[in-house]
Parts: sequence; C-alpha cells; structure tokens
Amino acid sequence: MSNVISASHLTLAYDNGAKEIIKDASFNIKKGEFVFITGPSGSGKSTLLKALYGHLRPSEGNLVVGGHDLATIRQGKLQELRTHLGIIFQDYKLVNEWTVAKNVVLPLMIAGYSVDVQNTQAQRLLKHVKLSEHADKYPLELSGGEQQRVGVARALSKNPVVILADEPTGNLDDYSSNVIWDLMENACEQLETTVLVVTHKIPTIFSLPYRHFIIESKGVYEVH
Amino acid sequence: MKFIKNHLMFILPLVAILLGIEFYLVFDRTTDSYEKGLKEGYTMLVVTKKPAEISELKQLNPHVNSMEKIKRKNIVAEIAKDVNKGTQSEILAALPYFYNVGLDTYIDTAGLEKIKEDLEKDKNIKKVETFGNSYSSAYRLFSFIKFTLKLFIVFMGIVSLFLIIKQMEIWKYAHKERMQVMEIFGAPLMLRSGVLFKVAIVDAFAATVLTSAFFLYIKFIWAANSGIEIMMEKQEELFRLSDIAILLGAALLIVIIAVYSVVFSSKGVQE
Repeated sequence: MSNVISASHLTLAYDNGAKEIIKDASFNIKKGEFVFITGPSGSGKSTLLKALYGHLRPSEGNLVVGGHDLATIRQGKLQELRTHLGIIFQDYKLVNEWTVAKNVVLPLMIAGYSVDVQNTQAQRLLKHVKLSEHADKYPLELSGGEQQRVGVARALSKNPVVILADEPTGNLDDYSSNVIWDLMENACEQLETTVLVVTHKIPTIFSLPYRHFIIESKGVYEVH
Repeated sequence: MKFIKNHLMFILPLVAILLGIEFYLVFDRTTDSYEKGLKEGYTMLVVTKKPAEISELKQLNPHVNSMEKIKRKNIVAEIAKDVNKGTQSEILAALPYFYNVGLDTYIDTAGLEKIKEDLEKDKNIKKVETFGNSYSSAYRLFSFIKFTLKLFIVFMGIVSLFLIIKQMEIWKYAHKERMQVMEIFGAPLMLRSGVLFKVAIVDAFAATVLTSAFFLYIKFIWAANSGIEIMMEKQEELFRLSDIAILLGAALLIVIIAVYSVVFSSKGVQE
C-alpha cells in the first residue's frame, strides 16, 4: 500500500532554525493506518502535527503528505491539501459565532457543496456524535466534551484522507472520549482513513491494530 | 445597538476622510478661476520717453507677455481738468508714454524686481512700477488660506486613518479566530475574508452616501441661500455627479486595504 505520509531526514525548528524540536526524523505511514504519537510534554508532538498540516515548514529534509512535499509546497496547493485533511485540536478551535451545524459543515462549505448537501451532512454527522439536538446551539453553550465531538464531526465531514488529532480526548470525560475513539476507529476501518493521534496516553481499550511512535530527544522512534 | 456601533466606528472616520477629499476637490475647483484671475489680472506700469513696442520689452525680459498702451489724452484730461486747451497740449507733449505690461506667469516679489531691473536698463524706459507688495500680499494671503485648508484636510485625514487602524484592530480581534480556523481547513482568502468584506463594503457605501448627501445639501440648500457671492456663482462646482464615483472609489480603496491588512495579519494559527 502507498505511503500517505513520508518523512525523510526531517528537521523541524522555530526561530528560523535556531530552536530545533525534531531532528533528522524519517518514517512512513501508509493509507488506512492508525498511528499514535506519544512523548513527554514539550517533546515536539504538536509541532510534528503542525508540520503535517503545513503550519510549520520543515527546516531540513522532506515531509510528504498526500504526494505534496510540505517543504516546498505553494500556498494554493497547501490550501487544496488541507481540504483533504481532518484536523482535531485539543482546544477544539470551533467558530464561536457559528452554530454547531455550521461548524460541522465548514469543510463542505469550503469545498463548495450546496446548502442542501451541507444540511443533510450536518444532520447525519451530529447524529453520529450524538449531538442532534444541539445543531442550532452555539459552541459556548456546550460542554467541553460536546465541543470536542463537534470538532470530530467537522474533521470527518468531508471523508478526509488523513485525520490529524492533537490530544483529542485530553480534557474529556470517559463518555465523550469513548465516542471520539469509536468515531476515529470507524473512519479508519470503514473508510481507510489514515489517522494520526498525538496523545499522552494510548487508550486502554482499543480494538484496531495500530502503530506507535514516540518522540524523545528530538528523534521520532517507532515502538514495536 | 452593538451592530450600529460597530458600523459607525468605521463609517465615521471614513466619512471624515471622504469629506477631506471632497473639500479638497471643491476648494480646488472654486478657487481655480480666482487664482487664475489673480495671476492674469496683474500688470506692471512701464513709463517710456518714446513709444515702445512689445518686442523691445520681450527682448529685455522674456516674461513680458502683453502690453497695453494707456491713452495719454485720458491722463491729461484727468490731471488737467481746469486748464485751457493750449496748456493741455503742452502737457500732452511733455507727458511720457504709459503702458500696462502683463507677464506670462505668476512671479514673486524678487522676480518682479529682476524684471524691473532688466526693463530699466533700456534708456527709453523712464520708470517701472511693479506694485509688487499689493500683488504679492494678495496672492500670498490666498496661498496661505489654501495651504491652511489643505493642511487641515491632511491632519483630518491622518486622525481618521488612526481611527480606521483602531477599527481594524477591533475587526482583527472579532474575525481572527474564524479566519484562522477557515485557513486551517483550506479556505481560500476570499472565502475567509468574505464576511469582513461584506461589512466593510456596506460601510464604504454608507460613508459615500453620507458624504454625498452632505455636499448635495451644501450645493442646493446652503450655498443657494448663503449670500456668499463666490458660493452662489460657483454653485455648480460645489458637487458634481462624478464626485460620487471619486468618493466611492476612495472609500472602496481604503476598505480593501484595511480588510487585506486584517486578513494578512490574521494568518497563522493562534497558539
């Protein structure tokens, strides 16, 4: 199976290369794989995720996502690539002045789907994340767990090729955490979506086979 | 209430800038002919022993543009009303020749002195009177008023720009989160900034309408009843339909610059 993500001698740094976070990392991730990335706080887990959605350019080496080298990608292509990614943040990053339903269909809106399609998808996705009755509410009217489920529904709305999740269950109760893991497992299993999850702790109950990378001392190592 | 306040915060400084632009246009148009008259109406008096030709004076100084002979009989008739005709003829014979000499451009007092010097080199020319002080002071007063108004307009523009920058910061605060989230999910710039553009373009139209309405009032109501001669004479110059296009163009340009500044400064993910 082809690589969806490929890093070769990848170095990620801030302050114009002065502050190296990840150095000389190489790894490949194939289509449909579920990957956990763990490591101590400040090790560079979130930095790697930022690089994967093009927010941080590699200082050295190559990072290829969906066939695009993020070291050299142009803005227009990066925008296009991002429409194929589903990104989940620890702090949700929902648009607070939009309703829950509108937040969920943001990727569809960007892709230019009709309002009818958007509405149908919003209903379907909110049912999946068990928030149907909250469609017309605003994010700040929901609990943290509910907001994160909206974030997951948004990430899944356009059947992305890759889901990138940064501590998706970090601050959530068990119920919301389980809903979120189920959704991501289903996406990976049924739609062959590649899922990369940055987390402090791998969930104890997890039914799918997965790969585990650990970031330590600026290196990215696979745990076998 | 908040909605109106948000719009007014941008519309008012925009109106101030548009008022400045329109005042500039109106003042330039209405004073143009006055300024021209002030320049063209100026003549110096040249007194010669024998009749002179314009070509002779032009040779002495190239700024000489026109020459009009003052009828000596009229001068004699004026200064020797009560003397008999014989004496008047003697006075006429002894009287030098007087000419009003016009120049091709506005020249300052030093320039006038230079022309006077050049002309007086000719032995045929007895005297040159430039009336430099009164000419210069009238023109300087006019120029000063014009400069002061322009300075005021520039100052008003700068203050308004600061208010617009302040409003841009508010926009940035209000729209940054949404634009950044949209950027992460791959929204193109126009989609990200769409809401902001709609708000700003509405404000640009509102500011243009308000400014145009103000000047239409000045033109058709205030100027017509003001009793100020120059205003009544130049009523047509006070506001032209083409000014609406200029004002709208300026407002849209300011709005586009403001919105793009906010959009570009909001790029990137908030940590």
